[in-house]
Amino acid sequence: MSTLYSPTILDHYAHPRNWGRLPSPDIVADSDDPSCGDQVHLEIALGPDGKVAQVAFEGEGCMISMASASLFTEHLQGKRVEDLEALTEEEVLGWLDAPIPPNRRACALSPLVALRAGLTAYRRTAGG
Amino acid sequence: MLDIERVRADFPALSRTVHGHPLVFLDSAASSQKPLPVLETMERVYRECYANVHRGIYAFSEEATLAYENARDRVASFINAPVREEIVFTRNTTEAINLVAYTWGRTNIRSGDRILLTEMEHHSNLVPWQLLAQEKGAQLVYLPITDDGLLRMDLLDSLLDERVKLVAVTMMSNVLGTVNPVKEIVCRAHAAGAVVLVDAAQSVPHMPVDVQDLDCDFLAFSGHKMCGPTGIGVLYGKEALLEAMPPFLGGGDMIRKVEWESATWNRLPWKFEAGTPAFVEGIGLGAAVDYLTGIGMEAIAAHERELTAYAMERLSAVPGLTIIGPPASQRGGVVAFTFRGIHPHDVAHMLDMEGIAVRAGHHCAQPLHRRLGLTATVRASFYLYNTAEEVNALTQALERIGALTTSQL
Repeated sequence: MSTLYSPTILDHYAHPRNWGRLPSPDIVADSDDPSCGDQVHLEIALGPDGKVAQVAFEGEGCMISMASASLFTEHLQGKRVEDLEALTEEEVLGWLDAPIPPNRRACALSPLVALRAGLTAYRRTAGG
Repeated sequence: MLDIERVRADFPALSRTVHGHPLVFLDSAASSQKPLPVLETMERVYRECYANVHRGIYAFSEEATLAYENARDRVASFINAPVREEIVFTRNTTEAINLVAYTWGRTNIRSGDRILLTEMEHHSNLVPWQLLAQEKGAQLVYLPITDDGLLRMDLLDSLLDERVKLVAVTMMSNVLGTVNPVKEIVCRAHAAGAVVLVDAAQSVPHMPVDVQDLDCDFLAFSGHKMCGPTGIGVLYGKEALLEAMPPFLGGGDMIRKVEWESATWNRLPWKFEAGTPAFVEGIGLGAAVDYLTGIGMEAIAAHERELTAYAMERLSAVPGLTIIGPPASQRGGVVAFTFRGIHPHDVAHMLDMEGIAVRAGHHCAQPLHRRLGLTATVRASFYLYNTAEEVNALTQALERIGALTTSQL
């Protein structure tokens, strides 16, 4: 079987980390790709120091998008909003630790699409 | 009977290996592979007699024009069109349908009129009518399907009221595989005073199609799904309708006389072919038609029926696999399915790792998938070059994927 479906990806798909919703999130975001049905709902709560204190996600989609979202939530912990805004596609792909072919990049990057939408809305409402 | 080994030898791409496995190509409903006669014909044109068609007063141009217009004759006889003027070359099925929407549609559809479609249409036979309906204040009405993917023919007459000016229907669903009773639909639509357009993208490549027998008003199909090149498609239209329609795109070739302020139009079919046409592709399509005719459309259809029945038998025995659509007896060579709750993109990717090419997604039929309560499906589709061994390879790979995901998930 393909190295794409690495033990890490299968593990995060079968056992998603930080699954669910937060009581009072500061950043809420969705990504929705009608072409494949991948949906990611992402929630982030910031601590008093302005850093990410809690992250949660729910979603539906392929193994790559769901595993990526699960890994994503782990890596966001402790980051400042500026760090989140500076996050690159290559960093997110790197967390997956598997060769993501071009036709699956969109799957792997769906949590980043959600985050960016959430950050735009957050800056607008928080006036940040 | 098809001599399958001889057929396969005509398609160089089929001898490739992918990820270390022999290629098993099961995506011909999206686009087919190309046989040597098509590749050689097109290369010969580019090498030996390439020059722009129509009005060239030199041998090269005459040769190219003759070859291009001969291809039109062969396409006309392939679908039994009575006259060559009824064969308009387009880019593909989508452009052919848009041509009708923008010309016949804009002239004939008015506010309050209805366009009758079905729930199983491809986006290409849906979105052009949405655009037209929005522009004109017309309404789209859908003939429902049953849960197993057959048209609710019992509801057709009640939907065909005097407001329906056009019925646009696929002859074969690219997702369900359903082969629709188009001849009967045309007959009932005509009785109700409606014009009928048939989306034949999935039927013309795979079964004998006779436009005079169907009595449809328009019929659209693509070259690339029938062993021909990309960039060339066909709109068949009844001569009287085509004559009455305004042009589609304006430019060279489609005109007769041009003044500063106005122009008059060329004769059929060139009235609808503005600009330098994809004539090498048209000639390639002619070669594809010759190739398919040489093998025989009846033989191709019989081969695909047999293979589809076998595939449905094998696949339905794979634990966790659910086939979408009607029984084999009512479908062409398309089998879409869901598998164990694994996302279709993952299934397709895992199959690709074993050299098996299938399509995954909504197959340009999002409303149909929503109607079925699905977002996406995996689709295997067959053509004249596919074999029972390839169906076995697909089945065995799915069984391995099932076992792997059971142990690891």
